Amino acid sequence: MTQTAEDILDRDRPAAWSGAKETFEAVRPAACEAPHRTAGDTYAEILRAWLIAACFVGAWGVFFFGRAALVILAVSVLSAVGSAIVCGRLLRRDIGGGSVYAAVVGLLVGLTLPATAPVYVAAIGSIVAIAIGTALFGGVGHYRWNPVLVGRVVVQFLFASAIVGHGPMMQGAVLSPGRLLVGRLSAGQPMESGAYPGWSEVALPVGRDAVIIERPVSALRRFGDGRIKPEDGLVLTPLLRDALPPWRDSLLGAVPGGIGETPVLALIIAGLFLIYRGYLRWQLPAAMLAAAALAAAVLPVESGAAEGGYYWLPALAVENGSAVGLAYVLHHLTAGELLLAAFLLAGESVTSPLRARGQAVFGAAIGAMTIFMRLYGLVACEAYWAILILNTFVPLIDRSMRRPIVGLAQPEA
Amino acid sequence: MYLFGTRQTFEGGLYLPDHKTRTAKRPIETLAPTGPLMVPLSALGELPTTPVVAPGDRVIEGQPLAMPAAPESLCVSAPTSGRIVRFDHVWTALDGLVPCAVLEPDGLGESAAVRRQWESDLFLTELVEKGVVCPNPRKAAHVLIAEAVAAGVTELIVNALETEPYLTADLRTMVEMPARLIEATCEIADAIGALRVRFAMPDRHRRLVRRMVSEAAGRLVEIVPLAEKYPQCHPTVLIKTLLEVEVPIGRSMLDVGVLVVPLAMIRAAAEALLDGRAVTHAVLTVSGDCLERPGTYRVPVGTPIQRLLDHVGPTAPIAQIVSGGPLTGVGVQRPDAVVTIDASALLCFSRPPEPQPIECIHCGWCVEDCPVGLEPVSLLQLEAMERISVEDRERLLACIDCGLCSYVCPSELPLAAAIRRTRRRAAGGPTKATGPNP
Repeated sequence: MTQTAEDILDRDRPAAWSGAKETFEAVRPAACEAPHRTAGDTYAEILRAWLIAACFVGAWGVFFFGRAALVILAVSVLSAVGSAIVCGRLLRRDIGGGSVYAAVVGLLVGLTLPATAPVYVAAIGSIVAIAIGTALFGGVGHYRWNPVLVGRVVVQFLFASAIVGHGPMMQGAVLSPGRLLVGRLSAGQPMESGAYPGWSEVALPVGRDAVIIERPVSALRRFGDGRIKPEDGLVLTPLLRDALPPWRDSLLGAVPGGIGETPVLALIIAGLFLIYRGYLRWQLPAAMLAAAALAAAVLPVESGAAEGGYYWLPALAVENGSAVGLAYVLHHLTAGELLLAAFLLAGESVTSPLRARGQAVFGAAIGAMTIFMRLYGLVACEAYWAILILNTFVPLIDRSMRRPIVGLAQPEA
Repeated sequence: MYLFGTRQTFEGGLYLPDHKTRTAKRPIETLAPTGPLMVPLSALGELPTTPVVAPGDRVIEGQPLAMPAAPESLCVSAPTSGRIVRFDHVWTALDGLVPCAVLEPDGLGESAAVRRQWESDLFLTELVEKGVVCPNPRKAAHVLIAEAVAAGVTELIVNALETEPYLTADLRTMVEMPARLIEATCEIADAIGALRVRFAMPDRHRRLVRRMVSEAAGRLVEIVPLAEKYPQCHPTVLIKTLLEVEVPIGRSMLDVGVLVVPLAMIRAAAEALLDGRAVTHAVLTVSGDCLERPGTYRVPVGTPIQRLLDHVGPTAPIAQIVSGGPLTGVGVQRPDAVVTIDASALLCFSRPPEPQPIECIHCGWCVEDCPVGLEPVSLLQLEAMERISVEDRERLLACIDCGLCSYVCPSELPLAAAIRRTRRRAAGGPTKATGPNP
């Protein structure tokens, strides 16, 4: 009979050793489970990057809208942080993400509002975003609709006229070149549409700090409704020449609108920063902007001519020898809240699809729907609505975008 | 096709920061036995052996200390010359408490290495006598080869990828003994009757690739440079990349006619077959963030980890010791554990991970990086469930335990650990709590 090492040792094995192997297994703490290292990109790190990006956009906006914008942003951030603390106390559980999360949500709510909005609108928007958008669903990780936009559309319902102003021409103010940052938006000078030379050439009388012009998105909506009449067979030229500011003003952010909606360059930089850090997948904004451009290029607009009808494929329009169709598409991309939605709002991780492929579909749907609603819809802030609608379909997108599992037997077709 | 820059790779995975620069250029250093060696008396913890020496005996290097007591077991040989003091128990990282022989080295280093002209029918015997083991799957080499022959394996893949951070043992081995690795690969390929032999190695080391290609010229072995994307080194992923064959869930690679052997086994086989030496030293990377002389060391089996670390020189208090790679290794709980034959690395960190899990934020990084296409978050919920459905069970078994989901998770959720626990439950009965278990 062979004798194993265990047999030999059994003779002089101390009593304490019996079952020692089992003890070794039992006392193994969970922290000793593999993997032993992590990448270190925690949610706190993601939120911090998002906060930096939003702050950059906000600073650019404050530059063009002055102190009023700063007050709006400060109030929205403070009320968001405050309501997060209150919600945590009331529900007796943390809503997650800490105060940085609340600050990001509050800041983003502030960025969607124009600087001329009353302060209470910003406060209510942030409180709704935290209390209803986040806490009511059970905190970070549980909500299905982007809390920022939940807050935003609620105040849109409650205070529509306070936010966007009265009348068909949604006008807004932006500080003039000499009075950046220090000027007051309330000291505004309405400019004749058509006589507006562009932001950098504007000359204001003494005592006037801001120019009041129509928002680009409002002009595009009027055009979509056929309320801008063609002149001498030229369809797009009246829109571009008379109703819209020069495109470089839109790029710079020198047009009226939400604090964070207009600074197009800042939004692009902030988005590239988030993509570089790896916290925003490039597929989402790329698909969103591409789909929006395509939709703007092909969707027909109601012709303003007397006989009615539709004007098809506006992107191909060439009038007086210039490719006005392309300018029209570019204005669609920079107008309104599309870029803010693409770079800072739609990519919110909890409410966007899991995979890059799903995010591309999600983004493309948002972009196309935004332009569709802008041309044919009635509600304002169409990109926000498009995101909220697509948020609803995220589980569906995730389910249809599952990866094949390696080694799983494929059912024979 | 490599000429055109198209690289064979797989969906998912991640290029990890590799932390290899400090150890990659240092030659393998043999650690001289400076104190008593606690040589475990079974190579892989559970393989029974019969001791053939008694306390008080003098042994020389390569002399058998224990003979196999079962067909799947192995000889254990003395790592150096000296005197057997007593039999005892000793802690190991992977197997817990195992019996050992305490060997007091005499510093003479007398060796029993005899180069014998072995014949093909003595091949497996030679592997048993010299104690050649395969670290992954954890088996004796002769058992693995016999199983491969029985399964009719036609494809042999040598896995020298080592895509986990810090590990450089395979790289150093390739640099220092390329010709013998190719030769040993050919011997094993002959033994199992493989029709095609691939040698997968990282493509980043261009000169090394050229060297290996020139060594393999005219041989059956084909050098395949692959990108160092983790977990390319895992057999399932490697087979999918190279052969476009998926190992069915719950089956082994032998069922699809492929044998993937790690380079460590090839190195051991080269020592045993070509040099006639018993495999008594482990080649392992000793690295981490708090060591003075990290490098690849050739360490006698049975050396206490504490003594090895004293030699390497900690620069800060070590808070965590890992045996194996940082993503798949096993935490070493006791500093009095000893180095075993299948150790590939010993990593020391001055700061243990302190995860503070929060809710899943649906970022999808784990889904995007999973090499087998799972959704680790959905598997996390299974741990709390009483019953596990058939589909979920298949998903659990599809997991290859690479640890990437936990590595990338921004919510710091213990995904890999939870899946491992649930899989153990789903597979039925308790299994070993340690290491990757393909």
